[in-house]
Amino acid sequence: MNATGIPLKEPSVSAAAGATEQLERAYIDASTRVPVLMFYTSAMAWLILGTLLAGFVSFKLHAPDLLSNISFLTWGRMRPAHMNVMVYGWASMAGIGTAIWLMARLCRTVLRYPLLLVAAAGFWNLGVLLGVCGIVLGDSTGYQWLEFPSYAAIILFVAYTLVGSWAVLMFRYRRGEQIYITQWYLLGAFLWFPWLYAAGQLMLFVVPVQGVLQSAVGWWYANNLLFLWFGAIALGTAYYMIPKVIGRPVYSYHLATIGFWSYALFSSWTGMQRLVDGPFPAWMITASIAAMILTMIPVATVGLNHHMTMQGYFPLMRYSPTLRFTVFGAMSYTVFSVVGLLISLRSVARYVDFTQASIAYSHLGLYAFFTMTIFGAMYYIVPRLIGREWRYASLIKLHFWASAYGIGLMTLMLLAGGFLQGADMENPTLPFSETVETVLPYLRGRSLAGILLTVSHFIFAYHFGLMLLGLGRTSTVPTFLNPVEAEEASGGH
Amino acid sequence: MKGLAPLFLGIFGTFAFSWVGLTVLPNWQIGHLNPQSDEEGTDIYPQPQSGMFERGARVYAANGCIYCHSQQVRADYAADDIERGWGNRRSAPRDYIFERPVFLGKMRMGQDIANIGARAPAEQASPALGGGAPPAASPSGGTSPAASSAPQAAAPVAASPAAKQSGSPSPATQAASPAPAGSPATASSPATAAAANATPGGTTTVSSGAQSASPPWPIQTIGEPPMYSAAWHHVHLYSPRSINFDSNMPAYRFLYKKRRIADARSADALKLTGSDAPPEGWEVIPSYDAKCLVAYLMALNQSHPLKEAKSAGGAPPAAGSPAAAPSPAAAGSPAPAK
Repeated sequence: MNATGIPLKEPSVSAAAGATEQLERAYIDASTRVPVLMFYTSAMAWLILGTLLAGFVSFKLHAPDLLSNISFLTWGRMRPAHMNVMVYGWASMAGIGTAIWLMARLCRTVLRYPLLLVAAAGFWNLGVLLGVCGIVLGDSTGYQWLEFPSYAAIILFVAYTLVGSWAVLMFRYRRGEQIYITQWYLLGAFLWFPWLYAAGQLMLFVVPVQGVLQSAVGWWYANNLLFLWFGAIALGTAYYMIPKVIGRPVYSYHLATIGFWSYALFSSWTGMQRLVDGPFPAWMITASIAAMILTMIPVATVGLNHHMTMQGYFPLMRYSPTLRFTVFGAMSYTVFSVVGLLISLRSVARYVDFTQASIAYSHLGLYAFFTMTIFGAMYYIVPRLIGREWRYASLIKLHFWASAYGIGLMTLMLLAGGFLQGADMENPTLPFSETVETVLPYLRGRSLAGILLTVSHFIFAYHFGLMLLGLGRTSTVPTFLNPVEAEEASGGH
Repeated sequence: MKGLAPLFLGIFGTFAFSWVGLTVLPNWQIGHLNPQSDEEGTDIYPQPQSGMFERGARVYAANGCIYCHSQQVRADYAADDIERGWGNRRSAPRDYIFERPVFLGKMRMGQDIANIGARAPAEQASPALGGGAPPAASPSGGTSPAASSAPQAAAPVAASPAAKQSGSPSPATQAASPAPAGSPATASSPATAAAANATPGGTTTVSSGAQSASPPWPIQTIGEPPMYSAAWHHVHLYSPRSINFDSNMPAYRFLYKKRRIADARSADALKLTGSDAPPEGWEVIPSYDAKCLVAYLMALNQSHPLKEAKSAGGAPPAAGSPAAAPSPAAAGSPAPAK
């Protein structure tokens, strides 16, 4: 990836910012170019691979004989391969890329020690590649979300250590006393992840805990990865992008504080609700269900804060790609949390446990919430790294609608299918195969939704490729989704 | 926000709270369980497994069985797992103390298999104990020439251990498609059920009687190997849809080898029928991994009673099978072993 060959252009200008400030931002953006683009490009490659795997996995579920005689391609290996490519390849790398850029911007200093990050991106890719190959070759550990064999996990952890130490170093160079709310979330994510990952690895592989506790540690890890790593990065990004695009400060700093601390406190206690009625002391599960209920506090405060910030500015979503994706992601955070709460209540869990509904929940979190927010951030950040604007508004629109309809349809299919599957399962007079029959049409519907998502990802990858090749538009105004009638949309900076 | 210290402390504090609360405390509470034994220190359960079991677990992990099969039975007040015949009591932490990795699972695109080993026919070697009423009539694709005479042959065997419709056709007949499930299953015979409990496993007293009391629905099977026997598992892994044509389980043919028969057909060659059958002069044999996987499956058995988990008695009579009156022996008592 030869990012340095791309001509740097001063980023588009906001009327509010003074000349020095613009220059300063341009320098900062330029300093982040190589590492951030490295993470983004790798993430895009993993996204495409993960999408192809996803389609394969989805079709195989209702067409089980599809290429099933080759051990590498058996469903039980393709599924974790897809999951890990998406979680560690796409989502983590795109999240780190975004976080790097945000950190540099918010610390108001040019990026120091870029080699740390370049090395980290290299190691991270190597770790994911080895891990996925390990899974495909039959070396999976068998723990969900932690399938990577240990040789891959170690490399991933080394890569992470480089990113984490870079983040702490950057913080020492920051200018100004103010620590913006986005930095809280990012700092949280950067500090939580290594602890989480190390705890998961240690308690499962190095000094393994006994019996069912492995499952408890596994789901504790998975849920916290979702909330404290991906969730924190996405919320931090939304807190930056929404006010930035509409050119208006966050509605309430107090709400932001409450939202952050309640998020850190309560969402970290969730996870065990996924083991409802399993062989565990009941208090563990109840504690997590209670925590799920309490996560409604951060949901309400963060949601209210974003909503009040956006109040009166919603029409801007017509123009700004970033805003449209980010607001979709921020709204999905609420949906994700509410669905998560509903399916963890014992009376409902009875019907949705062990069904496709839990897949719907994971996709709501990782896709509708996290990925959509990160797409929004990429639409904002990439032009500032490359000095060109996105080439086609129509492609962005297509990307958005294919993604939005795709994930919406997928969630509906999996939730509805999951509920019916669970209801059948709770009716012991029905043969078990009937429950599978019930859910199959919904799985076909899910495959259809997957096709939409595949289209959207290929469109985005193509557009991103054009940008990398320097084929973006040369312009001083960002690419708007629709022609701007007035200068009301000038907040695109 | 003033200063970094409170931010750092808060970030560490909240996470430490969760880490201690959800992993360290539970580890302190249930992380050091010992197997259960009776007063004399015998009848120990569970017991560590080794050899083929461990390798089988690795095959299970490698091929992602966990993404469709759970291995946990929920309590009767929480769900209908027991009524479905997936176990005779809820799973408890003690059941898993020697398992690593532990495969609780989160999805049931396939059945729960926490007790799949307990559902195996008592033992092929003693056909009289071969487990209860035969499964339902299979599609007439059963190619065995014995198929037509099967119902008569099966009748006397099926009558005795009728309390449990384990769904395994009597091995004595070895024939496809005997009588429909439920119909001949009227007489409950404690004696036979008790005898059936004494499985050759020895250490783990399997109350397969209570265990298998149930599936009230017809299960389609070509019926050749007794259901849930090792041979059945091999056929099922090799060709799931030959056993249940609604199944969406992938075939695991890469765990099997097709080879030319040298002098005699090998003992563990799969008994395949129809389009799955190898051409004349060829046979399909399981690889060592497949044998380990099946050994692992056959050892999955949580039917031994545990003090902390109330056994459900003979599982409640399932709808449509009035025969399932719980007999004392079927209630999961460990007595017969000694």
